[in-house]
Amino acid sequence: MIRYSFITILLLLAAFVVQQFLPAFTGLHHSRILLVQLVFLCCAVTVGQRTMLVLAFIGGFFWDAQCALGPHGGDPEVYTQQVESLRFGYSILLFGGMGLLMQGIQPLFQQGKWQFSAMLSGIAVMLYLAAEYAIINFVRGDFVLNWATLLQIVYTSVLTMLFSPLVFWMLFRISSACDHSINPEAGRRCRRAY
Amino acid sequence: MKPLNLIALLLFLGGAVWALTRSDRTVREIQNAYYSAMSPFLKSGSKMETQARAFLGETHHSKALEAELESTREQLGRLRLIESRFRALEYENVQLRHALDFKKATTFDVVAARVIRRNPTTWWQTVEIDAGSKRGVGTQLAVLSNQGLVGKIDRIDNGGERSSVLLLTDEKCQVSVRIENSPEVGILSGQRGGFDGDPMLRLKFLSANTSVHSGQRVFTTGRGGTFKANILLGTIDSVEKGALDSEALVRPSVNFADLGAVFVLLDADS
Repeated sequence: MIRYSFITILLLLAAFVVQQFLPAFTGLHHSRILLVQLVFLCCAVTVGQRTMLVLAFIGGFFWDAQCALGPHGGDPEVYTQQVESLRFGYSILLFGGMGLLMQGIQPLFQQGKWQFSAMLSGIAVMLYLAAEYAIINFVRGDFVLNWATLLQIVYTSVLTMLFSPLVFWMLFRISSACDHSINPEAGRRCRRAY
Repeated sequence: MKPLNLIALLLFLGGAVWALTRSDRTVREIQNAYYSAMSPFLKSGSKMETQARAFLGETHHSKALEAELESTREQLGRLRLIESRFRALEYENVQLRHALDFKKATTFDVVAARVIRRNPTTWWQTVEIDAGSKRGVGTQLAVLSNQGLVGKIDRIDNGGERSSVLLLTDEKCQVSVRIENSPEVGILSGQRGGFDGDPMLRLKFLSANTSVHSGQRVFTTGRGGTFKANILLGTIDSVEKGALDSEALVRPSVNFADLGAVFVLLDADS
């Protein structure tokens, strides 16, 4: 269990490295595969609440370190209405929220129905992006939502969700290598059938 | 909820509050540490990308490349001559300004850089370039292309070889501007969610009865401490008059979809 938890943390850190090389698809309204969020979501459904919170903190903290913009700069007397940035650390709370959402369907995953978790990962990414965009609108004022932004959110969620079976497959392989079952009820059912 | 889970949740919330209350300086230090750790991967990634590009470049017809090289060489020679003449004139200008006791001589230098990554984040419009503090690049410096203003330096990597540029099309990149043949000044910035197609910029705080019209060019005023004066930004596309003030949409002079080489404007003293 400890070995598996430790490997999920390493997997999340590796996702940060790979994310650096995943470009935005300009033809799909600049949508992208959010690998970090995907790995976190898939791991969140396979671990306990404490490990999920550790993963959420690491994921949110490093995501903000990667994406946070610098201070405005310039003379405040000239730029009287400076555009606000998102505060460093907001992603930690969003990751935590997504993780709790994923843990809500953990019983289904433990029964071997990983497909529901795969679908929920897409919904969670969509909620995550929508929440992020809503926060941007809240701190900057003037609610602006155009068609392109909406499509960007939808395409990003779908693209990310399509890769979730691959991440689950990796997690199953890792758990069996660590002699740890991430869906024990499904395993018991299989043994009973035999 | 189990007591241990409750403690973990409280610790998590405490950690989040700790992160949310960090100052800008601490956040920059955290980012520096993060990108230092990422640096070996980013370097090898850039190297692989360069090799792939070189491989693809080789597959192009060599004669076309040769002709292009020849023309570029000719242009380079011509530009070198112009630059040497420009330097002499600049020196003469400084001397004359000094003789006339002008308060400040505006000298500057540029660093050429290549765009190595586009839009690395979801919501911010940024690119990464292959020039950093090792070549004198610092934060808040203006970045130009041969078509006009591109943006400003937002972050420098710890290794000093890369930096991140906040593009003019981002809502957070604000520029104090003037309109040619007009007394109007305002603040220009990008628009939220303006990724697709031709991004337009929004010019705010024009007077209510402004007489600006489409086709007029927009330049930096030089006020605000970030951008030097008289850098081209774009042309007025349309004007929206309001009761208290007016706004205009500006078509940028730079083609942001095709950014290859850019120039970071340095102060001559740096």
